[in-house]
Amino acid sequence: MSTIVIGLSMGMLLFLLAAGLTLIFGMLRVINFAHGSLYMLGAYLAFQMVNITGSFWAGLIAAPIIAAVVGALMERIALRPVYNRDHVYQLLLTFGFILVLDEAVRIIWGLEYKQMYPPELFSGAIEMFGSSVPSYRLFIIGFGAAVSAALFFMLDRSRYGMIIRAASGDPEMVRTLGINVSLVRTGVFSFGAGLAALGGAVAGPLFPIELGMGFNIIIDSFIVVIIGGLGNIRGAVMAALLIGMTRALGYSYAPSWVDFLTFILLIGTLILRPEGLFSRKGRTA
Amino acid sequence: MNAQRLMALVVAIIISVPLMFPDGQSIGLVNAILIWSIFAIGFDLVFGVVGMLSFGHAAFFGVGAYTLSLLTMRMGWDFIPALGAAGVVGGALALVFSYFAIRVSGLFFALLTLALSQLIYIMAGTKLRMLTGGVDGIAGVPRPELFGIDFYNDGNYYFFLLALFVLALLISGLIRISPLGQALKAIKSNEVRAEQIGFNVQRLQRSVFTISGIYAGVSGGLLASLIFYVGPQMLHWTTSGDVVIMVLLGGMGTLFGPILGVAIFEIMREWLSTQTSHWYGILGLIFIISTIAMPKGIAGMIIQLWNRIMPGGKS
Repeated sequence: MSTIVIGLSMGMLLFLLAAGLTLIFGMLRVINFAHGSLYMLGAYLAFQMVNITGSFWAGLIAAPIIAAVVGALMERIALRPVYNRDHVYQLLLTFGFILVLDEAVRIIWGLEYKQMYPPELFSGAIEMFGSSVPSYRLFIIGFGAAVSAALFFMLDRSRYGMIIRAASGDPEMVRTLGINVSLVRTGVFSFGAGLAALGGAVAGPLFPIELGMGFNIIIDSFIVVIIGGLGNIRGAVMAALLIGMTRALGYSYAPSWVDFLTFILLIGTLILRPEGLFSRKGRTA
Repeated sequence: MNAQRLMALVVAIIISVPLMFPDGQSIGLVNAILIWSIFAIGFDLVFGVVGMLSFGHAAFFGVGAYTLSLLTMRMGWDFIPALGAAGVVGGALALVFSYFAIRVSGLFFALLTLALSQLIYIMAGTKLRMLTGGVDGIAGVPRPELFGIDFYNDGNYYFFLLALFVLALLISGLIRISPLGQALKAIKSNEVRAEQIGFNVQRLQRSVFTISGIYAGVSGGLLASLIFYVGPQMLHWTTSGDVVIMVLLGGMGTLFGPILGVAIFEIMREWLSTQTSHWYGILGLIFIISTIAMPKGIAGMIIQLWNRIMPGGKS
């Protein structure tokens, strides 16, 4: 039972990152290498807010907002000038931001590990089906499910979602309809950055907050995004849960082979169905 | 004289600094520049000539370094054959990577090479700890013993590295002007068209990726011998990032550009790291600005300036 909970909570965390990555890819056609750094930034920001206000919830709210501002600045300053060049340049720019963001975190918070604690409400453990499960893990599952439901509602039902879907498919046409596409791009990038930071804030109490944490998770997020199909946000949900469960099962039965398992999934996907395991015809978001 | 020759001249001046100031402190720096240049020249064959962005070259670089270290230290091989083996192993690993990675293109290619090289990094730290020394790495990597020359002296080792550097540059130059190089350029400008003309695009990509892996393996082995040490850091993805920065900074797709990029990178590392401990972040800023402002790198800027000063001249 605890394996399932760990797997699901891991999956939800990965989904928060992968959703941002895949939304950004759908809109901007760029893989955001710096996504892991934004996740890390989110964890540090949440830690800082908890230190200032003493409330976990303040951190959970403030971290994504600040990171979204950082994301908007990244898009405005660096990515916008190179949209008409090869996509490789945009990827390289986001790579440059890894160096800058990591350095900024190092300057502000130093090299030591930071520790965050779950909010009091979820600091205990709950008995479920005969095994004890940390309630914070359950909170992550619930929270992740709520965020993804909100995300799907926003994309499928709201006007903003419609604009995003339309602009992902045909930006020129949307522009001629009188919508400011470059503003939509900034918005989507900023939103994705916020989601990454939200993931970081949620992950704060689970893992030590350290400089390498962004990179540890970004590779998994890339794998999720590829398995789910680039730009396919529904596929990302399934793939995130798949990778989360694989990790959790791997940790309990064959800990030293965990990384290989995820890579085998990745390579298998790329060989058998390079467009993603969960993709139907056309993209959904 | 044209822009190409001007760049060649600049490169020649940079690498001949130790000849002009034989007892200066520049030797160590120039030695590092020579080694990283071999890496960058090989990387640019893939990145600049064919237009494939690999984020996995650290794997070939690091594996080359481990190969040389293990063969010389544990198996008692001589340096030169061990260096050859480093190249072979680097190339072989690149060939294996290419079988997976060339199925996909563009951004997927970058992600997949990154993921595969990260797998190698994880393996070196955990599964192969007996062989690689885990996170501690292996210290005491030797240098060559040839003709009774003491290569442990940096000044002497410089000549050994210079010879290999010139060889690497020559081979790269020959590949660029050879029919193979022309075919690779055709792939860069239009993959579908190249395929339709009758080129086996995937096989060409695999070949050049393998050649590039050999370059990386050899340079990795050389770096290990320069600093007498090999550690998992050489396999880490930041090493792949470094070589991408170097090549892009100098000018991708040109023969001399990557070398200029390496020189700037190494000089900055040397100078900035004495000024501030945050040099890597400053490097990131410089990289971002230069990617936006001069996509063709320093080489592109030199060519542009030259054409402005010498209008009508051949560039």
